[in-house]
Amino acid sequence: MGVLIRAVRNISRRKVRALLVIIALGFCMAIMISIPAGITANQASTEALTRNLSSTITRTEETIDETLTQIECTLSTGFEGFGFAPQDTGDSSFAPPDNDSGLAPPEFGGGFRPGEFGGGAFGGGGTTPMNETLYSDISSITNVAAVAPSLQASEGTEQTMEMMGRSFPRLVPDYIIKGVSLTSNLIGNYPILPTNITHGRNLQAGDSEVVLLSENNTVFFNAEVGDTVEIMDQTFEIVGVYGSSGVEDVNTLYMSLSDAQTVTNNTGYITSITVFAENSDVVSEVASELSSLHPELTIVTGQQRLDQLDALQNTYETQLESAEASLGQTQAVAVQEIVIAVAATSLIVLFVMLYTVRERTKEIGTLKAIGFSNSNIMSQFMLEGLILSLIGGVIGVAIGVVAAPAISGVLLPAVNAGFGGAFARATAGAVPSMAGIVTPEIILAVLGGAALLGALGTLYPAWRASRTSPMEALRYE
Amino acid sequence: MSNVALKTEKMDKIYKLGDHKVRALSDVNIEIEKGDFVSIMGPSGSGKTTLLNVLGCLDKPTQGKVLLDGVDITDVPEKNLHKTRKHKIGFVFQTFNLMPWLNAVENVELPMEGTGKTKEEMRNRAVELLDMVGLSQRKEHRPQKLSAGEQQRVAIARALANNPAIVLADEVTGNLDGKTKLEIMKLLAKLNLEQGTTIVIVTHDGQVAAMAGRILFLSDRKLLAKERQGKHYKRAQKSSQGDN
Repeated sequence: MGVLIRAVRNISRRKVRALLVIIALGFCMAIMISIPAGITANQASTEALTRNLSSTITRTEETIDETLTQIECTLSTGFEGFGFAPQDTGDSSFAPPDNDSGLAPPEFGGGFRPGEFGGGAFGGGGTTPMNETLYSDISSITNVAAVAPSLQASEGTEQTMEMMGRSFPRLVPDYIIKGVSLTSNLIGNYPILPTNITHGRNLQAGDSEVVLLSENNTVFFNAEVGDTVEIMDQTFEIVGVYGSSGVEDVNTLYMSLSDAQTVTNNTGYITSITVFAENSDVVSEVASELSSLHPELTIVTGQQRLDQLDALQNTYETQLESAEASLGQTQAVAVQEIVIAVAATSLIVLFVMLYTVRERTKEIGTLKAIGFSNSNIMSQFMLEGLILSLIGGVIGVAIGVVAAPAISGVLLPAVNAGFGGAFARATAGAVPSMAGIVTPEIILAVLGGAALLGALGTLYPAWRASRTSPMEALRYE
Repeated sequence: MSNVALKTEKMDKIYKLGDHKVRALSDVNIEIEKGDFVSIMGPSGSGKTTLLNVLGCLDKPTQGKVLLDGVDITDVPEKNLHKTRKHKIGFVFQTFNLMPWLNAVENVELPMEGTGKTKEEMRNRAVELLDMVGLSQRKEHRPQKLSAGEQQRVAIARALANNPAIVLADEVTGNLDGKTKLEIMKLLAKLNLEQGTTIVIVTHDGQVAAMAGRILFLSDRKLLAKERQGKHYKRAQKSSQGDN
């Protein structure tokens, strides 16, 4: 009979004890698996956020640099940009009083309310509809190179939100429609469409009944280039898909302005006018002229957006620093917990094997009397300790794979990596889950660790067993 | 070639207990020839177990020589004594000392591990020995399922596994009832007669000792000069043949 079979039979002689030891070892190993998994997840999460935020800010800066001549004009309202509307839909801020004011027609308040969700990452979308004919004079302002009207509206599920003692219906968007004026001059010379086309083509001058989807949109619609999608009960063909650059909202789909006006039942209305100045030196002048001509408009220049972005960047940097400091603390706690788990594993094996050796003293004496050498005895006990530890390791891996997020969540302090807004939405897909971090490498490392700790814990008891005098062992009762 | 299986010359054994020295054996001279069936008798504390430990290479004498199959075990390094025990000596214990998680045949195979025998050879040898001690039907039973007499038979088979130069039996009948005691002694007599196995038993039971060929007496840590023939030896051998 092989030494291995003998070792297994020896372990199975004390089933309850073996089971308890294996469970205890299993939990120690599960802790050892879960903590690195949690740390790796936290690190990956923080790193992913850092990477994404950093690249998003860089890309946004680049875009803004390219569009310093750009001026965004939207209609001023009390709630603009907050992404919600008051419960009382009769509120003058949202319900257009009359057509002469340039606001939306009465039919606008139907089942669909455009613009309730905020605009793109740099606020490029207005929220309140305005009559496009009232602003035709903008193009005649000195130093205005081009004017790009657009209509933005959302489709989604309405939920109630409490704020400052009031209830607000909040639209959680499934997608955002952005209608842009598809003239060859605008498309060819100004950044009115996304540039990062990953599939198909971009929108072209004269396009009608076609859409450009974001990658998020393709998931929502479960469709790809060449398919058709139903948007507000009208059929559109998907001509292209763009990858988010962090500038556009990840849920925005693009179509022609006239299609957007038709599909949202807002013919003749827009929500935003993008004015392009001749050059960056005249932007202030043009903005000032715009303000005096249309005081009801909110005017944001590229420089102002850049200032806003700087402020945003400072906020993110502060949050990242906080997350990194928090991660440092978490790692320190993790090291302590792993040391405790390692020590516990070794001590459990040590004491169990010491007890086993003592319990089997007479057996050791008999084996020596019938010719077993010291190394035979030592290897016998070493093997038993190793098998116990490895079974514990396998159980630990099983527990760890299933419960690593829960265990690390309990044992590790939470890392402060809370980033909100469009950035968080843009990066959410890149944050790995902790369960996914229990990699084969970690499993192998833990099983190797289990074997090593088992060997360490068994070494002294096994050595002691091998050194037992057979004469004394045979007398042991 | 010498016919001596075991010989001691002026053997002393002294234990140190702190500052005190305790003499356990003094000037012991024994000569046991191959094929002998010897019993060593003596009262408690006379040094029987110490003598058996030294003869069985579990302990070394403080002084003197112990020649086992022509080799002086006092010259064998401590780390190599296990080889002598494995190949030259077969132990039978009063409490059987079988491994409870192994069945009869596996217990008998145990001393053969590491001797170069294949699994099949080990199994065949174990089965052969169990047949010899009359347990051919109980090979797969674990010790818990065997009677005391059957367990001692397995222990005897185990002692013979490596065809040792000598079998040392320590109070082998101490845990057995009268009938079983007789059966075990008849088995040993049979092995001695048929296989020529050299057997040394240590006992304080005169009836058991009388079934051996020679009876040696140990008293006050010394071997007495007187030596007797076992008066039931011939009858035990004859009886064991009759059992066949």
